[in-house]
Amino acid sequence: MVLLGVELGAILQVVGAIAGVVVNLLPGDPGAAAVSSLQESLKGIPTLVSRDFIPNQGYWDGSQWVGTFLGLSPAAAWAVRVTVVYAYAFAVLGWLWNGYNRYRRYYRRVDWTPRDDVVNRFRGHTWGQFGLIITITFVVMAVFAPALGPTTMEENILQPYDYEVSYWDDESQSVQTVLVGEANLGSGSQGAGDENVAPMTYDDFGRFHPFGTATNGKDLFTQVVFGARISLTIATVAMGIAGIIGLSLAMLTAYYKGLADLAIVLASDSIQALPVIMVLILMLVIFQNTWVRELYDGAVLIILIFSLVYWPFIWRSIRGPAFQVSEQDWIDAAKSFGQTPGQVMRKHMAPYVFSYMLIYASLSLGGIIISVAGLSYLGLGITAPTPEWGRLIADGQQYVASPSWHISLLPGVLITLVVTGLNAFGDGIRDAIDPQADTGDEAAATGGGA
Amino acid sequence: MSRWQYFLRRVLMSIPVVIFGTTITFALIRLGPLDPVSAILGTQYNPQAAEQIRNNLGLNQPLWSQYFDFMYRLFTFQLGQSWVIAPGTTAYELIQVYAPRTIWLGFWSVLIALFVGIPLGFYAGLNPNTLSDYVASFGGIVWRAMPNFWLAIMLVTALSQTGQWTNGFFTWQTWIVKTNVVTPPALGFFQSPLQGFIEDPGGWINSFVRATKQIAPAALVLGSASMGNEMRIGRTAVLETINSNYVETARAKGVSGRSLVWKHIFRNALIPLVPIITGEAFLLLGGSVFVETVFAINGLGWLFFNAAINGDLPLIGTLMYIFILILVGTNILQDFLYTVIDPRVGYEG
Repeated sequence: MVLLGVELGAILQVVGAIAGVVVNLLPGDPGAAAVSSLQESLKGIPTLVSRDFIPNQGYWDGSQWVGTFLGLSPAAAWAVRVTVVYAYAFAVLGWLWNGYNRYRRYYRRVDWTPRDDVVNRFRGHTWGQFGLIITITFVVMAVFAPALGPTTMEENILQPYDYEVSYWDDESQSVQTVLVGEANLGSGSQGAGDENVAPMTYDDFGRFHPFGTATNGKDLFTQVVFGARISLTIATVAMGIAGIIGLSLAMLTAYYKGLADLAIVLASDSIQALPVIMVLILMLVIFQNTWVRELYDGAVLIILIFSLVYWPFIWRSIRGPAFQVSEQDWIDAAKSFGQTPGQVMRKHMAPYVFSYMLIYASLSLGGIIISVAGLSYLGLGITAPTPEWGRLIADGQQYVASPSWHISLLPGVLITLVVTGLNAFGDGIRDAIDPQADTGDEAAATGGGA
Repeated sequence: MSRWQYFLRRVLMSIPVVIFGTTITFALIRLGPLDPVSAILGTQYNPQAAEQIRNNLGLNQPLWSQYFDFMYRLFTFQLGQSWVIAPGTTAYELIQVYAPRTIWLGFWSVLIALFVGIPLGFYAGLNPNTLSDYVASFGGIVWRAMPNFWLAIMLVTALSQTGQWTNGFFTWQTWIVKTNVVTPPALGFFQSPLQGFIEDPGGWINSFVRATKQIAPAALVLGSASMGNEMRIGRTAVLETINSNYVETARAKGVSGRSLVWKHIFRNALIPLVPIITGEAFLLLGGSVFVETVFAINGLGWLFFNAAINGDLPLIGTLMYIFILILVGTNILQDFLYTVIDPRVGYEG
């Protein structure tokens, strides 16, 4: 009964999680005009981690903070919300992990499956766990981006002249209102003296900036969390598509061998002989003024290019295992039972090589994130208004030596952190899935030199 | 199959790879939506002039004949001309001007990475699970995860500020020889190195040191990823050989420590490092775009980037072809090194 109680509470928690994810995921999605009506209706559902529940945007009326959570200062209210979001995310994950263990110990029919060994190996892999925690931190940042920022994308970055902000004016000793856009103009970080809003400080309009402001006065933290969203999305979707192409081709070549294999070897060798970054630059320039380039400020095009360029690497890494499995007796058996080639590939070959693909893909994610940032730095990747880490670094480049160092430094530190985390996680996955594995293709994780 | 037959087969395979790679480039630049004529004319676009240029450049010919023309010219090394960024200049001349800086940069970045990465990795491998091992390994991993362009920006700032930070005690710009932080290296002394050295050894050495110092920060950044890779692989390789049976045998028959490390461990641990070192070619070519942009070194990466954003299609095609040749050449070199170093190659091929 206690068990049931625990799980019942947790089920409600998951329902809340789904609602929370839906509420949080949809509204801020760049360019998603179609869902705006849905967004309005969903905004009505109160969730624990939403901005409305713990608001941090208020103003000082001379004696107290108005409009913030429990009358706390905006900084404290923001800190509370971030803590709640992360506590909530880790609680959900912890609950799921607990449920898995409980299921494994009490409910599952069999005592042992090969996957248990993988999980157990990962449990003993401190370095991989470190990577997992960093990865989760960034994934939570991406998923809950609208709730984490001290202000919203819409209000601060996309439509600053459609919103107003109230603030306490020291000179007139009264509460004034000003358009957000104008407030932004007055709080940019462009080097020395008054022209700087450092991390963890308030600007002249009583707005709190955890990472300071960008050169144009927009909140850096908000841009950084939405940048995490676009980077992680591009990396995972591109790797997913490249993985599907690579896996299907590996199945075909391993099943039919001979000419099919030779053709794919040639195609993939040719693509691999092209310098990745140069091809990316070239393709982004070529498709500059087309409609594909406009989709999600270029993210769709970048995903397509990355998956076209990366599939040969995936295919290469699983070609060997795919050949091995195609020589197994059970493939012969399946064939002689009259299963179609498609069935044999899907049911009897793909599951075996899938884990190898997972290893390679997880080790390559960091490289894609670096490449995307690099391209945006060159002005070719994700275009405004969608925030991107590389573009932030480019914006702040000339102020690194000034008091406005945070604009370039912080996004770069975050890239380094997330790439280190992803690589560590990838190492963990590799050692857990295949303890005897070679060191893998190390060049994968470096993003072609960006 | 013998080792050399295997090697020969790999070399033969690279011919269709070059053809395919160049074909992909052609498809991208000719079939893509980018119009070379409007790139040439820029703001002075008018239909008549456009038509004339189209005729002159042979863009009205059928696509297949353009394709064969393109391929024929590249494979006979008639590299064509630039249309937009330096109209009328042949690609060959441009490459002659820009390539030395990139080669100089690449040379030092390989060298720095090798001479820092491998010793550190071997040191960490010979002293596994000590504090210095952890520091070196973790440092290598983080070092590798930093984006080159960001690292370059930070390094430029740090070096420019050294004078202020150390109160004039150490200033990078005036250290040994006077240089700027962000600058292309002056490579004039390479024009006739021997003669220059004999006539004026002091001045020659001075300009050599100057050029090296100018390129050093960029080379350090460009080599960062490979340095991290070499360290990690070096560490694993040493750990693996150290625990292998033949090393145990050698130790048992009384081989001295020094000879054990150099003869039995070092040589075998080098094998897995070969693809990392040759794989640097990819990282260097790609990374040169970013590092050259930040350090204002106008080399090949910078040339390619400018050709690309200005829509200089023939120059892009030529540069791409050169890059493909370099990369395929590096792959052949890698196979050659494998064939020479590792007698086991080709057994499974």
